[in-house]
Amino acid sequence: MMVELLKRLGLNKYNVDPKPHIEVDENICIKCKEKFCIRVCPAGTYEALPDGRIVVHYERCLECGAALVACPYGSIKFRFPENGISYRYG
Amino acid sequence: MSFDADVIIVGGGLAGLSAAITAVKEGLSVIVIERGEYSGAKNVSGGRMYIHALQQLIPDALERAPLERPITKETFVFYCSDDKKLTLSFEEKGKKNSYSVLRAKFDQWLAKEAESLGVLISYSTLLTGARREGNGIVIETNRGELRAPLVIEADGVTAPLSRFLGLRRMEPKYYMLGVKEVLNIKPEGDEGEAVTIVGLTKGYKGGVFTYTNKDTISFGFTLKVDSLYNSDKPSHQLIEEIREKLGLKGEILEYSAHLIPYFGYENLPKLYDANIMVTGDAAGLLYEDGFVIRGMDMAIGSGMIAGKAAKKIKDLGDYTKTDIYYEMLKESFVLKDLENAWRSFKVLEADEKIYSSYPDFICSALSKLFSVDSNGRQRPLKVLLSSAKEKGVSVTEALKDIMEMVL
Repeated sequence: MMVELLKRLGLNKYNVDPKPHIEVDENICIKCKEKFCIRVCPAGTYEALPDGRIVVHYERCLECGAALVACPYGSIKFRFPENGISYRYG
Repeated sequence: MSFDADVIIVGGGLAGLSAAITAVKEGLSVIVIERGEYSGAKNVSGGRMYIHALQQLIPDALERAPLERPITKETFVFYCSDDKKLTLSFEEKGKKNSYSVLRAKFDQWLAKEAESLGVLISYSTLLTGARREGNGIVIETNRGELRAPLVIEADGVTAPLSRFLGLRRMEPKYYMLGVKEVLNIKPEGDEGEAVTIVGLTKGYKGGVFTYTNKDTISFGFTLKVDSLYNSDKPSHQLIEEIREKLGLKGEILEYSAHLIPYFGYENLPKLYDANIMVTGDAAGLLYEDGFVIRGMDMAIGSGMIAGKAAKKIKDLGDYTKTDIYYEMLKESFVLKDLENAWRSFKVLEADEKIYSSYPDFICSALSKLFSVDSNGRQRPLKVLLSSAKEKGVSVTEALKDIMEMVL
């Protein structure tokens, strides 16, 4: 039985920063057809809107670092959050 | 400029803590900054550590470290098309060469070891920038600035310090994405198994793994980031589909992910610069040769060498002489092993055939060798050649790949 992404993320311990640690450049995203970020990100952080813009659900971030290589067009600005996830198994 | 310590270590994981323990034993003053609320909070590993380096660092580690299970069974599973599957298993009861680990537990233990030796670890301390000033480096954090003549970079695969200083740009082709689930399945017995599964992720470069821990199973995949670009589904869906196919039931206890460095010896990033030594994942020290995949012993080994090099550099009084560290790495198992693995690494890195057409070819040949009908049997070599043709495998190329892997 497939376990939905949000349920899996919900198992993790997060302390979400008040300010987002990920930003995307709307001008780049709106023209982007492939949206590689959606396929790469294991946390479903990037969601495409019908008009092509990307919504960033930064609170889901697993801090894997893939955002730094997920967009070949350089749209994603990623830095590590001050708080964020604390893995209990790792 | 007045300095806060002889050495600042960025990152309190395996490499950073090994460097800190070694440097403190050498009599240096050390500050470790760690962005997690504890060591291990931000770490994910597939799950197996070859323990030789840990035993160098802490001689009685086997009795005290929170290791999960000794891995005494190695299994490779090749999924082929048409429901065919090939499994190879090797067992060596009582072997104590590698252990499954869970990093949140393990790294916290190692941090306690370091602290008991007098290492200062500043937790929840995030690197926000870095610059050169005077004869040293200024480390900028969310809790203020720290200055040292020497910095050991142990900040993981994304190497933020190198990036802040303009020493590194990340390229997708040098990284794999690991996605992992810890499953609430209690394995039998006391010893553990590592399973490598190939062919379940056709069209991607990489594979699937499981490791048995004490009370759980670690399951996940590692796939090249650029092969995920063309995926028809997101990575978080892929992992669940693979779990389904493997029939791994059990409740999920944790869902995690991490980038993995995948450079190979000849593509390694810059391992040192004036006042800086780069260790562990930040240095791209991942080893793979088709039998063994390892990064954690490389992290511990490179950290220890950086700690020793720090003392030599301090004694010289010239903190630009970090090439000492590189020379020591070259003399150690870290760079020797990586160099040795390079030819195999290249085949595994370049060749999608390894993950699809080769297994298909072998399965097709085995299927014929294990079948009997009224048309008469053929000699094994003829079966192999006809299967190769059927699956579009060039025998010359396959032999060349095999030679590259074993010579």
